[in-house]
Amino acid sequence: MSPRRHLLTAGAVWIVLSVLGVILVAGMQIIPVIASREAEIENSAFVLLTAASVPVLMLVVVGLAYSALRFRATDGIADGPPIHGHTGFQAAWVGVSLILVLGLFAYGAVGLVDIRGAQAGVFEVNVSSEQWTWHYEYPAVGVRSKELHIPVDRRVHLVITSKDVIHSFWVPALGIKQDAVPGRPTHIYTTATQSGTYPGMCAELCGLGHTGMTTTAVVSDQAALDAWLSQQPKEPPP
Amino acid sequence: MIAAPRRWVVLGPGLPRAVIGAGIGFAVGGGVLAAALNADAGQIFGLGYLFGLLGFLLGIGAFHFWLTWAAGREIDLTEEHAAHGRAGEWQRYFRFTTDHKVIGVQYLVTAFFLFFTAGTAAMFMRFELAQPGIATNKELYNTIMSTHGAMMITVALVSIIGGLGNYLVPIMIGARDMAFPKANALSYWMLPLAILLVAINPLVGGFDSGWTAYPPLSQQANLGQQAYLMAFITVGVSSILSAINFLVTVFRMRAPGMSLMRMPIFVWALTVTAVLALVATSVVAMAFTMLLFDRLMGTAFFRSSRGGDVILFQHLFWFYSHPAVYIMALPGLGAILEVVPVFARKPLFAYPLAVLSFISIGVMSFMVWAHHMFVSGMAEFFHIPIMLTTELISVPTGIVFLSALWTIWMGRIHFKVPMLWVFGFIWAFLIGGITGVFLADVPTDIALSDTAFVVAHFHYTIVGGTILGLFAGTYYWFPKITGRMYSERLGLLHFWWFTLAFNATFIPMFWLGIEGMRRRVADYPPELGTINLFISIAALNIALSTGVFVFNMVRSWSRGPQAAHNPWRAQTLEWQVSSPPPIENFDHIPTVTATPYQYGSLGAAPAEGRSAP
Repeated sequence: MSPRRHLLTAGAVWIVLSVLGVILVAGMQIIPVIASREAEIENSAFVLLTAASVPVLMLVVVGLAYSALRFRATDGIADGPPIHGHTGFQAAWVGVSLILVLGLFAYGAVGLVDIRGAQAGVFEVNVSSEQWTWHYEYPAVGVRSKELHIPVDRRVHLVITSKDVIHSFWVPALGIKQDAVPGRPTHIYTTATQSGTYPGMCAELCGLGHTGMTTTAVVSDQAALDAWLSQQPKEPPP
Repeated sequence: MIAAPRRWVVLGPGLPRAVIGAGIGFAVGGGVLAAALNADAGQIFGLGYLFGLLGFLLGIGAFHFWLTWAAGREIDLTEEHAAHGRAGEWQRYFRFTTDHKVIGVQYLVTAFFLFFTAGTAAMFMRFELAQPGIATNKELYNTIMSTHGAMMITVALVSIIGGLGNYLVPIMIGARDMAFPKANALSYWMLPLAILLVAINPLVGGFDSGWTAYPPLSQQANLGQQAYLMAFITVGVSSILSAINFLVTVFRMRAPGMSLMRMPIFVWALTVTAVLALVATSVVAMAFTMLLFDRLMGTAFFRSSRGGDVILFQHLFWFYSHPAVYIMALPGLGAILEVVPVFARKPLFAYPLAVLSFISIGVMSFMVWAHHMFVSGMAEFFHIPIMLTTELISVPTGIVFLSALWTIWMGRIHFKVPMLWVFGFIWAFLIGGITGVFLADVPTDIALSDTAFVVAHFHYTIVGGTILGLFAGTYYWFPKITGRMYSERLGLLHFWWFTLAFNATFIPMFWLGIEGMRRRVADYPPELGTINLFISIAALNIALSTGVFVFNMVRSWSRGPQAAHNPWRAQTLEWQVSSPPPIENFDHIPTVTATPYQYGSLGAAPAEGRSAP
C-alpha cells in the first residue's frame, strides 16, 4: 500500500470512530445529581470537553493501533523511510491544537464568569468550619443551624470561614466547592434549581476526622424556608 | 590496575564510618547543642538531623578531597583513582565513588527500592479502601497515605534524571564523566539519610497533611511532619546540586561536532529538566524552611492569627511543584522519544520542534501553578490567566505526541519490551493529558478538585510520564548498564501484567471522582464498595507484576546471557562503546557528524572515531 492509502484508511477509521464517540457523548448527564444552575454549567462543560477529547483520543489510539497492525517489521534488517519531518503537517498540528485549546478556554471563561457572578437581592448564609464540623448562620434573621437551608430559584451567597485549619465546603449536587481558609473569608454563589436534601462534605484534607466531616444541604421553596427559619431559636450574634 | 589502599577498608571513609558519623553528629547536635540551648523535642530533632547529616557525609568521605586540599596536603592520586571504584567490584556501589556510571546505578537502585517501599504503602491504603468502613485506623491511614506520596514524589524526581541521566548523559554527549564528579557523588549521598528519615516518620508520630503539607494542618501535626520537611529540603539541595552539574556538563563537555541540535533528545529533556530543578527547587525549599521556622522558632509566616497568610504557602509550594511535575515528566518523555526511533527504525520525527516543545514546556511550566488552587480562595481575577496558560501548555505537550506517533507511522516496528512500554506510555500519558484539560477548566475543576478523579489523573501523568518511561529506559539500557540481556519473556509478562493492572486500577477512579468520592479519605459511601474492591484487587496486581520485574532484573544481572555492545542497532554514542562502558567511557573522544537519528539513510554514520567495542 502507498503512504497515501495508509493515511486515507486510518483517517477514515478515525473519522468514523470520532463521530460515533461524539454522538454517544452529546447530551449525556455526567455529574450524577444536578440541583443548581452551577451544576448545570459544570455538566455542560463536562459534555463539551468530553466531546472535544474524543477525536484527540481516537487520533492517537487509531494511529497506534493501525501502526501496530500494519507497520510491523517483517525482517530484522530493513529500516523505515528516512523522513525527518514535514513542515506543513507540523504547522497544521500546532495550529489545530492551538485553536482547539483557545476555544476550550473561551468556553471555560464564559462558564466561570457565570458561576462566579454576584447578584442583587441574594440570600446570605455564613458557613463556618472547625475540626471537624460545619455551622451555618443566617445573618438576616439571626438564626444558626447544623444543616444548610437555602431557597430554590434564588441566588445564594455563602461566606465561608474556618476557625482552625483549611477545610473545603463541597456540595456536589449544588456544583459548589470552596476552601475555608483561616484568617480570610471566602465567597461562593449558587442558585438551586431543585428542592431536596443533598449531602455535603469537607474536600480538603483536615486531619484525623476529615473523612467524617460531612454535612447536609436542604433546598426548599422560600415559603417553607421562611417557616423553618421562624421556628428556630434566635441567637445573638457571637 | 591500582589497588585501593588497605586502610580504606577498615577505618577509612565508608558506610560503617558514615553510620558512626551520623550517630555522633546526631548526639552532638541533638544532645549537647540542644541541651545548651534548652531546646524542645522538635528543635532537638532538627539540630540532631542537621549534624547527623554532616556526620554521615564526613564519614562516607564526601569532603575527603576538599578537606585534604584545604589542609594543604598533597592529594593522593591513587586515592583519586580508587574513588572511581574498580570495574566489576560490587563494593564500589556502597562507597563515595565519583564514576558517573556507578552513581547512576546507585540512584537507579535507590529509586527502585524507594518505589517498592512506597508501593507497599499504597497496598496498605488499598487494603483500607477495599471495603467501606474503617478496617485499620484513620490516623495510621493518613500517615501511610502521606508517606506514600512523599516517597513516590522523590522516586519521580530522582529516578530517571539521577539514575539513567547520570549514567547516560556523559556518554551520550561524548564526555568522560560529569563536570563535577565529586559534587555528583555528594548529591547522591545526601539522599540515603533523607529517605530513611521519611521512612521512619511513623515512629515519631507520623504526619497527616499529605505530601503537600498545607499549613495550618502541617503546623500542628506531629514530629513526623518535621521529618518530612527536613528530608524534602535535603532532597531539594541534592537536586539543585545535580542540576548545576548536568547543565555544566551539557554546555561545557560535549564532544567535537556534538552541537546542541545534534544532541540526543534524552539529553535535551534532561537539560530542560535541570533548568527547572535549578530555578524552582529553591522556592519549595524556602517555603518548607519558613514552615519549619513557624514550627520551631515561633515565626508566623503562615499563621493567620498573627498576620501570616496560609494561601501564600500554597502559591510558593505550587510555584515549585507544578514545574516539578515536568521535572518528573520531561525525563520520561525524553527516554520515550529516544527509544521510539530505534524500534521503529525511522528518524525521530520533527526533532527540532520536539526540542522547542521541551523548552516551551519548561518556560510555560512556571506560569500555570495556580491551577492547583482554583477552589483555594486565591484572588478571583487570577483564575482566567491561569486557566489560559494551563490550556496552552497542552500545545507543546501535544508536539511530543506528534513526534512519537509520526516516528512510529510507516516505520518498521520491532515490538521488543522497550517498545511495548512506549505504546503503554503514549496511551497513559494521553489519558493523563486529556483528563488534565478537565482540571484546567474552572467549571469542571470545581466539581473534580480534591476527588479521586485528581488521583487518577496524576497517576496517569506521573506513572504514565515517569514510571513507564523509567521502565522503557531501564529495559532499553539494561544491556548497556549490566553487559547482560534480560529475559524477553519475563519482560513481556511484566509489561502486560503491569499495564492491564495499572489501567484497571486508575480508569475506575475517574468514575469514582465524578461520583463524588473524595481523595485522601479512609472511608466512603457504601454504594461505592464494589468498585473500590475491584480497584484494590487490580492494585495488588500492579505490586505482583513488579515482582516479575525485580526477579528478571536481579537474575539477568547476575546470570543473563552476555549482551552485544549494540543489540538494538541504535545510533547514539553510548551504544558505540562496550557494554558496560569502560571507566572514562571512551578510548578516544569521538567526533560527531549528525544527529543520532539517521535510520533509513544508507551509509550515514552519526559519529566517527568510535571507541572500539
